[in-house]
Amino acid sequence: MKRSFRELSVLGALAAVLVGMAIFAPAFFSPQPLLSLLTREAPTLVVACGMACVIITRQIDISVGSMFSVCSVCAGLLAARGWPLLLVLPASVALGALLGAVNGLLVAGLRLPSIVVTLATMVTLRQGLNLVRQGEFVNLPDRIQWFGLSQMAGQLVLVGASVAFLVALALAMRHVAGGRFVYAVGTDAEAARLAGIRPQRVTFLVFVFIGALTGLAAMMNLAQSPQVQPLSGAGLELKVIAAVVVGGVAISGGRGNLWGAFAGLLLLACVSPALIHLHIEAYWEKAIQGAIILLAVVADGLRTRKLNR
Amino acid sequence: MKKILLHLCTAGAVLLASLVTATAADSKLVVAMLPKSKGNAYFISCKVGADKAAKELGIQLLFDGPTDSNAAKQNEIVENWITLGVDVIAVAAENKEGISTALRKAQKAGIKVLTFDADAMTDARSFFVNQATPEGIGQGLMDEAARLTNSEGEFAMIVASLTASNQREWQQHIEARLKEKYPKMKLVAVRPCDDLKDKAQSEATALLSANPKLKLIMAICSPGVPGAAEAVKQAGLTGKVKVMGLGLPNENKRYVHAGVTDSIILWNTGDLGYLAIYAGVALAKDELKQGAKTFKAGSLGTFTIAGDNILLGKPFIFNKANIDQFDF
Amino acid sequence: MSVSPGNKNPRDWKAILTRHEMLLLYVLIAEWLFFYFAGTTINRRGAVVGFGTLDRQFDILRHSCEIGLLALALTPVIITAGIDLSIGSLLGLCAILFGKLWHDGGLPISVAAGLTLVLGALAGGLNATLITALRLPPLIVTLGTYSLFRGLAEAITHGAITYTDFPASFLFVGQERWLGLPTQAWIFFGVALGVGLLVHRTTFGRAFRTIGLAPEGARYAGLPVGRRLALVYVLAGLIAAIAAIIYTARLGQAKADAGTGYELFAITAVVLGGTSIFGGTGTVHGTLLGVAAIAVLKNGLACLPVVMRMNAAEEMSGLLTGALLLVALTASVLPKILSRFRARHHAPAP
Repeated sequence: MKRSFRELSVLGALAAVLVGMAIFAPAFFSPQPLLSLLTREAPTLVVACGMACVIITRQIDISVGSMFSVCSVCAGLLAARGWPLLLVLPASVALGALLGAVNGLLVAGLRLPSIVVTLATMVTLRQGLNLVRQGEFVNLPDRIQWFGLSQMAGQLVLVGASVAFLVALALAMRHVAGGRFVYAVGTDAEAARLAGIRPQRVTFLVFVFIGALTGLAAMMNLAQSPQVQPLSGAGLELKVIAAVVVGGVAISGGRGNLWGAFAGLLLLACVSPALIHLHIEAYWEKAIQGAIILLAVVADGLRTRKLNR
Repeated sequence: MKKILLHLCTAGAVLLASLVTATAADSKLVVAMLPKSKGNAYFISCKVGADKAAKELGIQLLFDGPTDSNAAKQNEIVENWITLGVDVIAVAAENKEGISTALRKAQKAGIKVLTFDADAMTDARSFFVNQATPEGIGQGLMDEAARLTNSEGEFAMIVASLTASNQREWQQHIEARLKEKYPKMKLVAVRPCDDLKDKAQSEATALLSANPKLKLIMAICSPGVPGAAEAVKQAGLTGKVKVMGLGLPNENKRYVHAGVTDSIILWNTGDLGYLAIYAGVALAKDELKQGAKTFKAGSLGTFTIAGDNILLGKPFIFNKANIDQFDF
Repeated sequence: MSVSPGNKNPRDWKAILTRHEMLLLYVLIAEWLFFYFAGTTINRRGAVVGFGTLDRQFDILRHSCEIGLLALALTPVIITAGIDLSIGSLLGLCAILFGKLWHDGGLPISVAAGLTLVLGALAGGLNATLITALRLPPLIVTLGTYSLFRGLAEAITHGAITYTDFPASFLFVGQERWLGLPTQAWIFFGVALGVGLLVHRTTFGRAFRTIGLAPEGARYAGLPVGRRLALVYVLAGLIAAIAAIIYTARLGQAKADAGTGYELFAITAVVLGGTSIFGGTGTVHGTLLGVAAIAVLKNGLACLPVVMRMNAAEEMSGLLTGALLLVALTASVLPKILSRFRARHHAPAP
């Protein structure tokens, strides 16, 4: 109970928001629109899972937004050239993994600080994409949308797959050796090394992992619309980091879990639709999101201070 | 010590290389064109027309603009051009007052300044190549929205950002027209999409679920229209909720044909770029002076000048019947 | 006085000449010379134009002032192993507050400016309180205030109101020259001198580095860690407010989007300047060199005929800044890696 206090408090906040919505704007819960909203967040959830792992190893990756754009555009171009979906999907994941591996090599291989490395790759990838594509939309063939399924089935598949992935990964983080390595490295890399884990290898793989997930997420986003804008994914990094942190994953590494990240993501994702349902003007949105992040960390801080006394 | 030598060697090589390139200066008239943002399909299509005009006139066209939402960038680019000694600067202003500071400086340095797409302060430029007045755009959009909804019911708007000057201006004219002529219509929400199609889709999805009585979504930035259309299509509300707005034909064709988007309003962006370049060159050659009533721009023919506004002509309404005739 | 490890023996010239800041200086000089020769041309009217003109050099200076100020604000922060992502947003909020105080509050410019500085310091104080009193990670606190400050600026103006029509005496600060240099450059150099003295010539600076290296150790050594950290973040808020006023004077308008994305440029400049993101080491002159290297690159590229023909100045400068950062980082760890490699190969067999 005590151990998962943080996750429960986010869940409580989320529940409060949802109850509030049920009272003041019950239309929020009509099934089809709600499914659509969840589908829109499914790619973000997948990236958030990866980000949680990265932050648990005491690293950070702010290049996910740019990687997302690059994967989206490349996958879109391949699809437009007539590649079948079964090839485009792995290609996108592989490209993401490759970009992640570059980050991983620099961070784990050269032991450079991840925040700066991924800042540099973020800028480089984004501007490179601008240079090559000049903002032009990529038109996709029809069979890519919903992976060729009907819309309802496609949405269910996307939401179902992302949640199933979350559950599998959350369990794996707990019960599989690899998952525990991630926690071990984040808690104390030197202790992990003495215990026979290779911290640099774990770090490298975590960056490859988030890259691959970003490639996957790009495909999940691609399936929702018949065109790709090269800007898609801009700002994704902050959204995902905020969700993970609000969900109780400690930036100092080794603490937190994917359930919390999931709750954090849902809480932040609720803000915008909730404002629309409650007919609050849009210019309050950023301030409210900032306040939520601060409240979450302040609550965290107050609690640890109390425990320390 | 080896390192220093290495550095000196590189510096030397670089110097040598640069001396070769420095001789390659050409003596064409230089026109610099500044879009609001570089990666925006709208301005890319302006550039197609501008390139054509540059080729016809035998001038050098510089096309540069911010690639991110950094509002001061436009000023810095203009100031760079001043020291680069370009002959003409044509600007689509993101920040009306802000950019004027730099434009006045350019005028002082003897550079001819004109604006296109979005105007600066009137004293900071000679002419404004006006694709349509903000009033005309606002009224056109609102009238078309009223036509599609029989002048009654709820509608919502998607804008680029809460801070872009011309979006605010159009919005004000839309609201003024609404108040004045369409008392039975109600604007229920205005949502920013940050010029992101994906975000526009999310916002429109939420708008649809929050406002079951919604009859129309109007998007006044080009990525917003396909985003909103996709949301309406996915919500199964095609035909029940109309989509319209300001957008490019190519990005919207499939939705217009599918009956999701009813109409998009836009001027010919290629012509806008073309006209801006022709006007700029005429300014530099002193062929275009204050007080002129008409202006002839190459293959496009003659345009009317009202005061210091060169008018491109009326905005165009694209719909199922005519959208395939356009490619931009 | 400098704490750089290579400088223990003043006659160790090799160590001095290969220090990070010196390497950066060579890069800067090479960059500058390259653009001077490749980016200067003679235009149709026979005038010398481009990078080699004095006007251009002044423009580079003017364009660097705000990001330079933010980078100065960040240097002590990063030396303490902290980070402040909120300064770009705070620049926007301060610009709005300044405009509102002057325009709606009817205050004279100087009073409005003074109050803005106080408000900026207070906003920095909010970061400081959360970081020191609650011992929260700076990255997260300032991620929150990053949204909050920008959000407040938008909420105050509804995103739409732009404050403008400032008097010419105020615009002088951002657009004119005083004693031969752009006016704001004097403010920038003043702040740089102040921060430089604080970091390199006072016990505060030593405290910052100690905190950055070992916060617990600093606590046990009796350093007032909380108060020193608070000082750093309040100072960052104050400098962001100064940058906001200069920004407003340069553009002649205050709007909620001021300073968007500046935090990333500022962090890039600081890191390029050799300050370790892990804390403990870093110099103010390094930061200044980092700011200059980026500014010269950006401005110089826009003068190159090749780049001009490609119409790609903006993208190229972003691309190369990212690449430069990666190269600088790699160069900074290369000696360590080489020695580790050598050690492994020369290690006696067990």
